[in-house]
Amino acid sequence: MKRIFILGDAALVEEYASLCLNKNLLVSGRMNSDRSLPSKTIRGFSKSTKPSKAMDIALELTNISPESKKKNLIELASKLGSRTPILTSSVTVTLGEQSTWVKSPQRLVGVGALPSLLRGSLVELTTTRQTDQKHLESAKSFVEKLGKQHSMVGDSVGMVMPRILCALANEAFFALKENVASGREIDTAMKLGTNYPYGPVEWAQTIGIQQVHAVMHALFDAFGEERYRPAPLLRQYASSGVSALQWL
Amino acid sequence: MIKTIGVIGAGTMGSGIAQTASTAGFEVILHDISADVLQSAMENIKQNLRMMVEKGKVGSAQATDALSRIHPRKNFTDMGSADFIIEAAVENLDIKHAIFKKLGPIVRSHVVLATNTSSLSVTSIATLTRTPESVVGMHFFNPPPLMKLVEVVRGKQTSDAALKTTTDLAVAMGKTHVVCRDTPGFVVNRVARPFYGEALRLLGEGVASVEEIDRIVKLEGGFKMGPFELMDLIGIDINYAVTKSVYEQFFHEPRFRPHPIQRQMVEAGTLGRKTKKGFYAYP
Repeated sequence: MKRIFILGDAALVEEYASLCLNKNLLVSGRMNSDRSLPSKTIRGFSKSTKPSKAMDIALELTNISPESKKKNLIELASKLGSRTPILTSSVTVTLGEQSTWVKSPQRLVGVGALPSLLRGSLVELTTTRQTDQKHLESAKSFVEKLGKQHSMVGDSVGMVMPRILCALANEAFFALKENVASGREIDTAMKLGTNYPYGPVEWAQTIGIQQVHAVMHALFDAFGEERYRPAPLLRQYASSGVSALQWL
Repeated sequence: MIKTIGVIGAGTMGSGIAQTASTAGFEVILHDISADVLQSAMENIKQNLRMMVEKGKVGSAQATDALSRIHPRKNFTDMGSADFIIEAAVENLDIKHAIFKKLGPIVRSHVVLATNTSSLSVTSIATLTRTPESVVGMHFFNPPPLMKLVEVVRGKQTSDAALKTTTDLAVAMGKTHVVCRDTPGFVVNRVARPFYGEALRLLGEGVASVEEIDRIVKLEGGFKMGPFELMDLIGIDINYAVTKSVYEQFFHEPRFRPHPIQRQMVEAGTLGRKTKKGFYAYP
């Protein structure tokens, strides 16, 4: 497993591509034209890069726009070799739903991709009943090549860490809007009061406000529960593309 | 100028606050209605200070001085000589109301009355005092000598002067403070709710097991402890009570709704480390 094709949200493509390059894998791919543009261009990536049969594994890392995700996945499924596994982010759309978009759902393995989470040493994976065991094994060995452990979790919107993390950030944005304390104070309080590694406001900024909003929006949609309603401030900043630096 | 701090309640929080204040150089009058509680608080403080000396965190003479600055008093009227009061009694509004009402005729008029509440409204606690403008929240975290944070809570009627005195005192006690509005759970106990709430829902929905969720949160998220380990450490009953309190004070806002798993574990008496059984077993 050497040639990796990556498609998706800019921040995630950048994070995964950098790590792949570090591990001496050959990466190429394309970024969605979302607002969170990468800070640097990566070799092998351009607007017109297309997947080919020569790839050993492909990654679809779109969380923000389900439409882009669907288009990307359909393109990958038709252009890649029929035996190439596709590791697809299943944070805002379940793997089960994605499986209905393509003719070869057996090659899909879900991954919990959210910007900043590759700082950690574990990657979440999920499957459906249709997932072929050998494709899952390929996905696991790819994760191992990245130097990470994996954890198999159920196919549920937000998976585990993105759901907990985005819900924390969402609550911080409710508190921020209600003037309970400033963003900086909320971050200080959570780091010193509960030993969190980062404050929820600064963490949301690292993840990307649009990403956090997309996860909350997907949870709200999937569960139909008021508890996942995106905080108005989060929605406002996500739609205006404002940098979180402004309220810190 | 604050020289003497009166601490009401000598439980875990009260004795920890007394130790923190005395180590920072303040005289402390530590009050409790129970002589036994006062005595065991003094023993605990003595032991904690000894451990700090062993670890080289304070000098031996410094520890002896700190201990000598704490004056255990069973008589409530002794609070009259304090320049600043920190109430750390149980989290019960009636009991706190009674204490603040009793403080009125005892303390001097400019003395700030701080309450170390974690989940009650500071504005509500202030209602029965003669001087609601001098009541402020001063939320220490457990254990107070080790945890750097103090949430300083501005009640609806808290004066700027009382707030300033309290934040200055927090600094003098070696703490980092954040000022927050008097809203349910303040910052930490509110913003932390989804950490437990979502973990419990993920468990309830069968997305992952207790062990896997904790492993993911630590290895992928970089948290020092997973939500279930942390609930076991805090006490599932305490965590459930805080969740319920925030939920009720927000008029049943669904984001704070407790989870049936929590209630069931409380009913079963599996409260975490303290009962040797919670989400994990502790033989």
